[in-house]
Amino acid sequence: MGLHYTVPMGSLGINVPSGIVVGISLIVGLAMVLVFGHTSDQKAIHIAKDRLKAHLLALRLYQDQIQVVLRSYVQIVLATGHYLRLAFRPLLFVIVPITLLIVEVDRYLGSEPVATGQSFLIRARIDNPDLLNQVSLQLPNGLSSTAPAVHEPAEKKIAWRLIADRAGEYAVNLQVADQLFAKRVVVGSGVPRLSPARLRGKFWERFFVSTEPALPANNSVEAIDVQYPAREIAFAGMEWNWVWLFFVLSMAAGFLFKSILGIEI
Amino acid sequence: MTFGRNVLLADRRRFSVCIAWLALLLLCPASSHAYAGPGAGFAVLSSFWALFVAFLYSVYAFLVWPFRQLFRLLRHRNIYAKAQIKRAVILGFDGMDPELTERFIAEGRLPNLAKLRERGTFRKLATTYPAISPVAWSTFMTGVNPGKHNIYDFLARDLGNYLPYLSSAEIKAPKRSLKIGKYNIPLGGPRIKGMRRGIPFWHWLGEAGIFCSVLRVPVTFPPEKFSGVLLSGMCVPDLKGSQGTFCLCTTRTSSDKFREGGVRVPVERTRSSYVSYVPGPENPLGGGSGEELRVKFEIRPDPGKNQARLTVDSETFTLKVGEYSQWIPLKFKAGVGFSAHGICRFYLKEIFPEVEVYVTPVNIDPGRPDLPISHPVTYSIYLEKMFGPYATLGLAEDTWALNEKVLDDEAFLAQCYSNHEDRERMLFDALEKTQQGLCACVFDTTDRVQHMFWRYLEENHPAAREVPRSQRPNVIQDLYGRMDELIGRVMKQIDDQTLLMIVSDHGFKSFARCVNLNAWLHQAGYLALNEGKTESGDWFDDVDWSRTRAYTMGLNGLYLNLKGREREGIVEPGVEAESLKDELRRNLDGLVDPASGRVGITGVFDCDAVYAGPYMENAPDLIVGYGDGYRASWDSVMGKVTSQMFEDNLKAWSGDHCIDPRLVPGVLFCNQKISDEKPAIVDVAPTLLKLFGLALPRYLDGKPWTVGISTSRSVELSSPLVT
Repeated sequence: MGLHYTVPMGSLGINVPSGIVVGISLIVGLAMVLVFGHTSDQKAIHIAKDRLKAHLLALRLYQDQIQVVLRSYVQIVLATGHYLRLAFRPLLFVIVPITLLIVEVDRYLGSEPVATGQSFLIRARIDNPDLLNQVSLQLPNGLSSTAPAVHEPAEKKIAWRLIADRAGEYAVNLQVADQLFAKRVVVGSGVPRLSPARLRGKFWERFFVSTEPALPANNSVEAIDVQYPAREIAFAGMEWNWVWLFFVLSMAAGFLFKSILGIEI
Repeated sequence: MTFGRNVLLADRRRFSVCIAWLALLLLCPASSHAYAGPGAGFAVLSSFWALFVAFLYSVYAFLVWPFRQLFRLLRHRNIYAKAQIKRAVILGFDGMDPELTERFIAEGRLPNLAKLRERGTFRKLATTYPAISPVAWSTFMTGVNPGKHNIYDFLARDLGNYLPYLSSAEIKAPKRSLKIGKYNIPLGGPRIKGMRRGIPFWHWLGEAGIFCSVLRVPVTFPPEKFSGVLLSGMCVPDLKGSQGTFCLCTTRTSSDKFREGGVRVPVERTRSSYVSYVPGPENPLGGGSGEELRVKFEIRPDPGKNQARLTVDSETFTLKVGEYSQWIPLKFKAGVGFSAHGICRFYLKEIFPEVEVYVTPVNIDPGRPDLPISHPVTYSIYLEKMFGPYATLGLAEDTWALNEKVLDDEAFLAQCYSNHEDRERMLFDALEKTQQGLCACVFDTTDRVQHMFWRYLEENHPAAREVPRSQRPNVIQDLYGRMDELIGRVMKQIDDQTLLMIVSDHGFKSFARCVNLNAWLHQAGYLALNEGKTESGDWFDDVDWSRTRAYTMGLNGLYLNLKGREREGIVEPGVEAESLKDELRRNLDGLVDPASGRVGITGVFDCDAVYAGPYMENAPDLIVGYGDGYRASWDSVMGKVTSQMFEDNLKAWSGDHCIDPRLVPGVLFCNQKISDEKPAIVDVAPTLLKLFGLALPRYLDGKPWTVGISTSRSVELSSPLVT
């Protein structure tokens, strides 16, 4: 899924990002149902769900007996807690791989590359506001600045508005004093792997949002980020954030596979 | 040790790191990473959905509740203003016998019943004519004689062809269907018509705004609408529409058919396992072709472990020899969108040298009832969700399987008590939910166990002659003890304000000798067979109706072949019929068994004298009351004429009550004093209506008892409240 990645599906008029989400959702739906089936206490879950339904039915059957109704509410809350406790064990097995998967897929589908001719911002955050005046940007061929840099001392930030003449993967260099810090910028279309930010330290934040090496620890630049536009995926006549689409489709796939495989969820 | 500790410490460290990792993931995700797949999604959505529904309903209930209460208040005024009790709990023990009860109380086996007798009431409870459960329980609930509720036996006869049909309910195919090629697609559900007439007393209580929970009272199928909840009991059919058809899956080849109640199904060997099937209902798409739906199952014996692994649809389970499975759901598929849902239990009888599996009758699935078995329909579903699947068949304890020696004593008892425990759970749930109103529950276990194990109570019962006295189990003593223990637990659950009544519909006596009344009628010249025949087939095959004046079928009814009523009737109504009835009564009353010298028939009762009501036309003409130790023979019940009039009963079904009703009264225990000396089952309904302060409908035959309620409220039942 590189910058110039094209697939025959595109030429067939099929939306590539939505195809990816559908595929992943089906696979994840199936895998999760299988994992759930093998790691959970199926019998206990079945009983817990049945009890929950029974208490709901009791609300209707004994509706004129307020004592029974109130007791049933309490039982519903308790039964729900019990059910969630039973569902937690399989959750432990899936949470790590699913989180990793989502983080990785988000790098491809969370944002889209900057379009040619479309202006975008690149920002740097410096831990020492006094150094903001010493920061400059070195642009490669194909990228140009459309306005002077904007300083935000209160935020310890400096921002540039850039524009790209042609598609490509660029390395923008930020110079602070005599040090250079590179930041990757992707211009074009398709489904490339994007890194919206390059960060110093902050392992967990880098894990979730960056694919580039960490900025050196002994310097004053905390972060350099590129403002890529958020990707909207067209599916079923609507524009979706990919996570929501994945949520809906993987749930649907899960429901489908659980029925086929006879697994209690 | 050190190595082990190190490994343990390493494991702990790894575990700690994992937990920390998970905690970090959970605590530090970006918003888009909070979703952890469909498993978590389902868990959250399902529980959220339940809470959401509960919340919505709670808002609705709280908003509506004052209006409902106001409406109830306006409609019923103060429901309990005239009531002497706030709650009545009725425990029905089918067939609990007063003489045995007294004997076991005297032996100290029944402390709770002894307490009730001491502080409250114990009486013999007069039963109905005949003393048969569907008849007696119908009278119990309606407060009228059979002439008004139309139930005279399990079976009734078709006047057009002399064949039997179930007296309590009629199930017919849907009215309309669509024929496409060889398929006949039913448009709508089956038509179910209840044959019992009369109005159960809980209907009147419900009308007055008194909530009722009614569990397993016989002849409540199909369930009728009323204000309360009801689970049907005796007379609910199995999925085949029968009153219980078990299945013996076996590798043994046999051409013998079970007399009734069961079928033999072959088990076939494949390369690595055995396969068989559970027969189900007729294919509804077959257009009456009789094609049977089936569910296949596989058996993989493991002789080394004396067990087998069974696979039915998606369910796989292991059974030891002599062990029952849980209730297994079965789906009989007729076609796309057409399937019948049942449940059954498997019992592994043998895996070597032959393979045999007993399968209980396929019960209607209470969680997905294809026929209505409760009111409202959701009540059976509620019970299933609350306690798991349970037997729904009216006669759920498979007496036929024990009679046919397909089950042994132990397996039969295990089945009985398993069903009984399910019903106990339902009872205690109903008790908890019905803090005011009526809670009535009937237990069948007492009836079934006494039917099948009476042989061990008697010294010389023909069905147990080969079992030495020392090896006879105390099944019936234990049964009464268990029921007493249940009564004790119920007594702990109720307060002083609650009326507790223990009733049985009839008692029990030995069934050692069979009387083929059709044989007697034949030999006495009242019933004729076709030329050259000395015996008939079942259901009067080879009976010459043009020369037959009287016949019997079912357990106690004797019928005249009346002209204008029966299709081939020859007896003129009026003088001839009355004269014939007198003659039959004279000849049968006091009939002596030549082998024992004992009286086989102690009374013959004219139905015109014992019944009154609009359904008299369906009644038998005479009720035959057999003596202690006697009952209608198995052949006679099925309309068969044999050459032998008296014979030994060798079946496990060795006790009975379908005899002279005067010999088998039921029991009445109450935690309050009842002053009436001769209470009858027909009085229960009017007594309860009166205790709840309701006016008595005029048509009732029963009379309310004088009950001394030991609460602050005084009791005055002497002035009849008649509408």
